[in-house]
Amino acid sequence: MPLSNTKVGILMRMMHTTLPEFLEKIKAAAAESNSPKAITIRGLENLTSAKMQSLRTGRIEIAVDDMTKKDGVKKVDLVVMPRIPETMHTVVVRGLDDKGNVKSAILEIINIMHPTEDALLKDCGDVEDRRPPIGKH
Amino acid sequence: MAKLKYKLLPEGTLGKIHIPIDIVYINFRDVKQAGLTPHEAFEAVAKTSGDPMGINIFDPDAAGTTSDGVMVEGAVRFMAAADRGKFNKEFGFLEAMEMPYSDQLVKDEPHLFQWQKSFANRKLFRGPDVTKKIIPVHNACVTGRACNQNCSTEMANMVTMEEIMLPILGQQEIINNGNVMIGHTGQIISVGVGINVPELSGRLFPTRQFRIGDTAHSCGERSKHLKEDIPCLVCEKKTLAKNIIRCILTGGIPGRNMAPAPAVLTVAKYLNSDIDYSNITDAAYVELASVGFDKQWMDKKFEKLSPEEIMERADELIPGMTDAQKYRVCDIVKELEAEV
Repeated sequence: MPLSNTKVGILMRMMHTTLPEFLEKIKAAAAESNSPKAITIRGLENLTSAKMQSLRTGRIEIAVDDMTKKDGVKKVDLVVMPRIPETMHTVVVRGLDDKGNVKSAILEIINIMHPTEDALLKDCGDVEDRRPPIGKH
Repeated sequence: MAKLKYKLLPEGTLGKIHIPIDIVYINFRDVKQAGLTPHEAFEAVAKTSGDPMGINIFDPDAAGTTSDGVMVEGAVRFMAAADRGKFNKEFGFLEAMEMPYSDQLVKDEPHLFQWQKSFANRKLFRGPDVTKKIIPVHNACVTGRACNQNCSTEMANMVTMEEIMLPILGQQEIINNGNVMIGHTGQIISVGVGINVPELSGRLFPTRQFRIGDTAHSCGERSKHLKEDIPCLVCEKKTLAKNIIRCILTGGIPGRNMAPAPAVLTVAKYLNSDIDYSNITDAAYVELASVGFDKQWMDKKFEKLSPEEIMERADELIPGMTDAQKYRVCDIVKELEAEV
């Protein structure tokens, strides 16, 4: 039996976390730790509307909580960056009329190369890689 | 303890040009002589420095291709990018696949007509196996700040975003202790590098996306500006001429089985050999015309020169980079040894 729109909506809510909720949870994880720390969150500045993977949101909250408790850690910096250092993007070039309606559009593509995480880790000897292999959750 | 020889063109300034990253070449013969795997060789060199580094293992006994489709002696078989002495375990390495000879391959990639004529005893390597590489489009190794891209022909510091172009014949000169020219890519080469040949698992593209006579850039007069200001290291023009002449004299026809890039067209003109203008797409023509290779140039009669005369006068005849300075490799490249 097909799911109703309401049920699909509920399922999506369960599977993914809204961007504002994700940001709140991360900030809360740093602030509500037994050893609370200030946190900066970078790499999501361009996103205005996004559903974040719920399964990983909880694990990232744990990672932030764990980091606040590490010896010598005075503040936490969380960066979201591409897992694969080449990302493929659609470029939408829209022509708008004076009411904001889309009168014309051209779709293009651009591939972007990025540094890998090593650029942020520098010479740190205490790196725990909790990521699953590429393609896994 | 065994030693592995390698060559380093260090990050720094040469004349007007800034080399943005440490550039390393290892001769595959030395890797085999030291009894190392390519990964072991990369690791031995990477641990000598904390700086971002592009590292290539060049096999002088293999064959490769230029972006124009000219087959050349030697190919980069293994590529890596290192930073702070380490490699990203997923994206730090790439290996070129051997492309076995078949008549069908030559049919699909017409520029390979040269293989049996000039390179019959050599194995051919271009890019990584398209079915195995995990980076989506470009053939790139990335570790931290270091990026070694398009199978070693572009290297960049990903944080400063500075880059250098390294066409394959310049790499060959580094391995052979010859001479190189270093300058800015300029408008002619900026157009030329977009006019390619179709290659499966190629050095530049994973699939045969662009046919001979077409342009990958496909952006009209803007093509000449795409790479114009990027540093570039190439071979001397007489070496470029020698390779293009060999291709043409064995049956190469720009536009038909060689890319009609500016340097290739110029050499063909001075040889008074055939050029298939009819196969050049409108998009490629606009780009060529924007740097002077327009219909008037194509219709013009050139004095016929011998191959020797073209090589002798290559600096004068063949257009290329801007701000170019000639260097002996031995004056700018350090020969070093890593402990293994």
